[in-house]
Amino acid sequence: MNMRIFLQQLKMGLILYVRVPAAVFWIVAFPVVMLVGLGTVFGGKEDTAPKLVWERAGPLSPADTLLVAALAERGTTVDPETAADAEARWKVGKLPAMLTGQDGRYGLRINSYLVGQAMQTEAAVQEAFLVAQSRARGVPDPARIPVVMSSPGGHRGGPYAAYLLPGLLGLNLLMIGVFSTGIVDVTLRAKGGYKRLATTPLPRYVYLGAQLAVRIIVVLIAAALLMLVGAAAFGIHNQGSYLSLLLVQMLGAACFISLGYVLASFAETPETYSGIANLVFLPLMLLSGVYFSLDGAPAWLQGLADLLPLTPLLRVLRAIFNDGAGFANQWRPIGIVGAWTVVLFGAATRRFRWV
Amino acid sequence: MTDSLAIEAIGLHKSFRDVQAVRGLDLRIVRGEVFGLLGPNGAGKTTTLEMLEGLVVPDSGQISILGMDWRDRGAAIRTRIGVQFQSTELDDKVKVREALEMFASFYPRARAPAELLGLLHLEDKAEAYQRRLSGGQRQRLALGLALVNDPELVFLDEPTTGLDPQARQGLWELVRQLKREGRTVLLTTHYMEEAEVLCDRVGIMDRGKVLQLGAPRELIAGLQRPSIAEIEFLGSAPDVQPFAARWGRTVEATDQVWAVPLTDARIDLQSLLACIEALNLPMQQLHVRRASLEDVFLQLTGRSLRD
Repeated sequence: MNMRIFLQQLKMGLILYVRVPAAVFWIVAFPVVMLVGLGTVFGGKEDTAPKLVWERAGPLSPADTLLVAALAERGTTVDPETAADAEARWKVGKLPAMLTGQDGRYGLRINSYLVGQAMQTEAAVQEAFLVAQSRARGVPDPARIPVVMSSPGGHRGGPYAAYLLPGLLGLNLLMIGVFSTGIVDVTLRAKGGYKRLATTPLPRYVYLGAQLAVRIIVVLIAAALLMLVGAAAFGIHNQGSYLSLLLVQMLGAACFISLGYVLASFAETPETYSGIANLVFLPLMLLSGVYFSLDGAPAWLQGLADLLPLTPLLRVLRAIFNDGAGFANQWRPIGIVGAWTVVLFGAATRRFRWV
Repeated sequence: MTDSLAIEAIGLHKSFRDVQAVRGLDLRIVRGEVFGLLGPNGAGKTTTLEMLEGLVVPDSGQISILGMDWRDRGAAIRTRIGVQFQSTELDDKVKVREALEMFASFYPRARAPAELLGLLHLEDKAEAYQRRLSGGQRQRLALGLALVNDPELVFLDEPTTGLDPQARQGLWELVRQLKREGRTVLLTTHYMEEAEVLCDRVGIMDRGKVLQLGAPRELIAGLQRPSIAEIEFLGSAPDVQPFAARWGRTVEATDQVWAVPLTDARIDLQSLLACIEALNLPMQQLHVRRASLEDVFLQLTGRSLRD
């Protein structure tokens, strides 16, 4: 009997979910858009050789010629400009680095906003300068330490997309809990939909179980689609076991769907709920390293973020997806997410109201 | 507790923070009757209904629904009652047939959606989204959901509020059919003519208590002034003061009509006509009508129902 009600509720829940385009967009399409968009923008693949603007007035000296040749060997071409033109281009803000000076007395300006790109240019310029000096003195080129670019998971190419994808998987779990669950809960209670259900023999646990199942199914479909797009567009693949990935996502879904119900129990109207939800969602998203690593943040902030549920969840997802890790070394972050889930689930069941 | 009672409530009290919504309410509703709970907004009708529906737990008092207590037979009661709320309560994107199917799944025994669609005259709206229904269609769907489990007892909260006269007539017919099928109906309304037409008995509520209980005709007949004379004027009415002074009793004056409650139409009409004659009032028409439940409330509380 209850199984029949559960299946009917599950079917109806999925049908109603699909009928709301906005809900489908945010949970299914939005992560794909983010992955393709940000993965392309911060792709890290250099298709064209970097150009180095050189503020230079006079003709090339022999030392300058040696430097240009050494730079060209490292894939960097130079773009000479007069002082005024160089300054104008620098002001636009798109140049990562600019070479100044001539005939052995050089300077390098680094754009503080584009350090990541500028560092590569700087390394190339410094190396080319050493090579040029050696050649001027007629001694062999200095040796250098060979460098290989690689992501922690050992991916070739598209390293940012590989970092981003597990982050989006975790973010989606937060979104389906806080937005897709909590808002429905508040709306149905405010409209009296729950009240109506409470006058029927529908058991509360069957209703809530079906709601949970609908959302887990939706979020897993979204995750599968995201991984397919990741594989097709960036060639990134899950390095770990799909079962581990599934279990961790279900734990995360249970945690954040409970969070949605807890937050919703504090709001009387959808409007107040939006405020509460954003108050929780934004700090969680920003502090948990969904888009960028928090390694540069102050230690106390990292320590705080480690105790919030999303950060350890993302750590586990990345360990599995990028590094192929099992659960063996992940018990601490799993324990933190698990503890949150127990607390939030308990609070959600205690605070849930039909009326 | 007798078996012939669908609802028995004794000494119900309910307060929300510092508001006493229901203060000592007794109610006995016999199986098979249509009972109307009347009263202005804030009289405690909704709280009373929600206590009887098992949604709100009373602070004190006893409730028996179909001979059962909410505290230990809640699930059994729920399979045998049907509830219709005033406001829309469904997901916007649910279709009429789906809503009926979904509610049918909650009950061990349920009526087929096709049968209910026929009963409610919603056959051609079966695949329409709930949101796209008119007010009357939506109310009929809400009633249909309340009837899915073939309930013995049906609660209807303001079933015709906001409907046009034709839609209201349609709903009245459905309620009459419920009575013919032997179901017990408890409805709330603030349309007095609706209560007079539909209800076997009514309870008039004010400030958390039932002030008076009985068949509509009995309540009206029991009034001290059971008839109302209405004096109509062409254009606007003259100053009511001279008339009120001479008449010496209550007069309700509006722009074009004076309503004069009469104790005994035979005697009072004569003195009324004499009054009109003496003041030479430019009267156009004179009607005498039976007092309504509206007047019952007015005479019981001194206030109008719509206040």
